[in-house]
Amino acid sequence: MPDQTSKGMLCNEFELLLTDAIDGVLSGTGLDRFHAHAQVCRTCGPLLAEADAGRNWLKGLTEVEPPASLVMNILTSTTGVDTQRLRVTERRLQPRISWWERAQASLFEGLLEPVWGMVRQPRFAMSFGMAFFALSVGLTVAGVKPADLREVSLRPKAIQQAYFHTQARVVHYYENIRVVYEVQARLREVKRNFAPAEPAVKQSQPAKQNSDKNDTTQQPEQNQERNYSQTDDHVILASAAVGPSPCVIDRSNPDWSNPDRSNPDRSGVDASNPDLPVVSVSTDRRVV
Amino acid sequence: MEDVQVVAMLVRRCIAGDSAAWEEIVQTYSRRIYNICYRFAGSGDDAQDLTQEVFIKMYRTLPSYDHTKGAFVTWVTTITRNLLVDHFRKSKQDRMTDSIDTAGSDHEDAQPLSEQIPDPSARPDAHVRSREVGETVHAALGRLSPELREAVILRDLQDMDYREIATVLKVPEGTVKSRINRGRAELARLLQRTYRQVM
Repeated sequence: MPDQTSKGMLCNEFELLLTDAIDGVLSGTGLDRFHAHAQVCRTCGPLLAEADAGRNWLKGLTEVEPPASLVMNILTSTTGVDTQRLRVTERRLQPRISWWERAQASLFEGLLEPVWGMVRQPRFAMSFGMAFFALSVGLTVAGVKPADLREVSLRPKAIQQAYFHTQARVVHYYENIRVVYEVQARLREVKRNFAPAEPAVKQSQPAKQNSDKNDTTQQPEQNQERNYSQTDDHVILASAAVGPSPCVIDRSNPDWSNPDRSNPDRSGVDASNPDLPVVSVSTDRRVV
Repeated sequence: MEDVQVVAMLVRRCIAGDSAAWEEIVQTYSRRIYNICYRFAGSGDDAQDLTQEVFIKMYRTLPSYDHTKGAFVTWVTTITRNLLVDHFRKSKQDRMTDSIDTAGSDHEDAQPLSEQIPDPSARPDAHVRSREVGETVHAALGRLSPELREAVILRDLQDMDYREIATVLKVPEGTVKSRINRGRAELARLLQRTYRQVM
């Protein structure tokens, strides 16, 4: 468009002269060239028509009447012409407010109002409603009745008693749980298994000390499970209760089967009492 | 329109604390400023608030007015325009994207614009028709971009010359003329489209 020319006028020039032509300032040959370009140019012709129509629309607009109170409001807000009168009137209309009410109002407006405003939102109200519903259902399931709460005493002694009572109930309940009981039983069993080991050590300690006192060769202690009967060659002979102590036959002696041969004086028959029947029983008594 | 000497004297009296002089200034310019605000903002309530703000700002900055630098009306219009731009930025109302049917006027009962446009054959009362046409043009004016709108308002509704408009808008005179031409043409196209839809 800017480079387009017709009738010796560029579109740029046409646009610059457009306002002057519409305002009626343009005249003479300039106006002729302007109209000639508008008739030929497909862009500038409609532009002239639209701009002229738009101006006519705007000129058809009438002035709007401002509100009657506008001037008074402006004067009041700038110079405060009626401010003093209004203040006196307001002061008369305002009731006396005590300091407590003022403090409450300031507390409510300063602190509680934002919170209250947020709480009043539907989503928070719904959340509180759901929480109350869940709480009531939970108390109902737990068997708590509102009538019971009325009988609750708030005296310190009663609170203390209720505390200990509740604690005892909890402990009793805890100890009666099967799992806890089994665990405790296992623990006791384990303790019992480990407990004898300590006294045995304590009992063997003095014996060892005694043997240590006697043992100067630092020989290892003999096995506790040895069979004394096999190593001990002593044979205990049963005999009647009357008479001297039974004679002891030493089996290590090769002549023990024939005592008469080895020891004629002590041949298993008390020679001093030949009248008594002789019962000779040899036992392999095991000493455990 | 204004006698420079008379206005300068009024301003001096205002600065000295003469409330009568200030009241005279308010009486003289309130109607003009209200109309600029109303045509730009599109709402009567907004126009009233903006007019009060303009006078409050004017009252505070009156000592800064220098009559040798320009006419008082240009100074007042500059203050008004700056406040309107601030208001536009704050409200963030992009009226270019609004539907012409939703852009109603406060003086009507918020009817869609297509319902407000009169049928010439059905309405014998020319006065009522003229008023409704005015509302249609006002609604179409609100759909212009702020740059074009302020230019055509100052030129075609406030009858300011191009030099004064250039001073108020802080742009060259060529730019002012271009904006006025484009604003007028855009307004005509909008109204033409509206009437074509109704017909």
